[in-house]
Amino acid sequence: MSTPENDVQGKKPWRLSLDSWAVVVALLAALLVRAGVFKHIPW
Amino acid sequence: MADTVAIPQVQPVQPALRFLRIIPGVLLLAAIGYAGKLLEQNVGGYAKAHRWVFPNIEYVLWAILLGLLISNTVGVPEIFRTGVATYEFWLKAGIVLLGSRFLLGDILKLGGVSLLLVAIEIAGAIAFMTLLGRLFKLKPKLTTLLAVGSAVCGVSAIIATKGAIDADDEDSSFSIAAILALGALALFTFPLIGHYLHLGDRAYGIWAGLAVDNTAEATAAGALYSDAAGKLAVLVKSTRNAMIGFVVLAYAIYWASQGQAKVVGNKAAFLWQKFPKFILGFLLISVLATYQFFNKEQVGALANLSRWAFLLTFAGVGLRTNFRDMRKQGLRPFAVGAIGEVVIAVFTLGLVIGAEKLFGF
Repeated sequence: MSTPENDVQGKKPWRLSLDSWAVVVALLAALLVRAGVFKHIPW
Repeated sequence: MADTVAIPQVQPVQPALRFLRIIPGVLLLAAIGYAGKLLEQNVGGYAKAHRWVFPNIEYVLWAILLGLLISNTVGVPEIFRTGVATYEFWLKAGIVLLGSRFLLGDILKLGGVSLLLVAIEIAGAIAFMTLLGRLFKLKPKLTTLLAVGSAVCGVSAIIATKGAIDADDEDSSFSIAAILALGALALFTFPLIGHYLHLGDRAYGIWAGLAVDNTAEATAAGALYSDAAGKLAVLVKSTRNAMIGFVVLAYAIYWASQGQAKVVGNKAAFLWQKFPKFILGFLLISVLATYQFFNKEQVGALANLSRWAFLLTFAGVGLRTNFRDMRKQGLRPFAVGAIGEVVIAVFTLGLVIGAEKLFGF
């Protein structure tokens, strides 16, 4: 039977997946471009 | 003697330290990618000035070739490995940013056609790979992994399915090695076949998105042909990726009914867990671009950011491909994968040519 102590030990820390991080970083970059922080990105 | 056994304490890695560890590898990806860009600009011009006959090689291929050269000669030193593994992150961030170059109407139109083609491709590929696995007497779960890898989306699909059907580590290593080796071959053969058959950018892009397994290789195979083909390859490949949850769920239910995997409890939560979230980011950026949240210059800046992210991905594709490691995995799963891939490539080429005549895209 699981005890509260075991439950605490069994809980994994909440983490964003790689996919979600990629979305967060890309959206942040898009907002910075929109806000004019990065005006021109050369290629 | 004491009864207790000392268990070594594993110290959790601090986030700051984890961030520092990725820096050398990311710098290596950037250096190789940028070297590819410089080679594209300079080698062609130099050959022309000296009247040499030299094919015009794009930065995509240079970056992959430089990565392959390092990986298969001196190897990737330990210090760079954590950062090199971030190439998947750059790929997904690049796809989200690429959404700025698609208007929602285009996505709905092309997405509708590609969804139909993807559904036919997935059903055909799974049926054929299952038959082939039985003919070659492969283990049933290895056959499942190869079928999912070649029908849906390469390595991510294999990893997702492995957990859901309790497959062996060895089987998943076999499948991943076969899919990666075949993806590397597709990079070089698909553009040649496309040019030989005089395929248009759209038809080629859809074909690459349907038939090349791993997202990074599909993106590179498309970009090697043309910018427009690269965009379409990403769109079609993302449609395939969106199906991952449904295919993995179907296999999880099948293997659970055979008593060889855990029963899936909450199916909606399972689907959400397996769904690639970068597709939602791609759609969100596309909606914002459609409703002119970004002006023309900003769309251009986002497109360039996406190109830089892909540049790091292409360098990573070369660096993580090691032919010696692939050879160690054995011939039979590779042979099944290779036969399957050739048949799927021919089948999807027929589908695309048929759909082009029918829908006129």
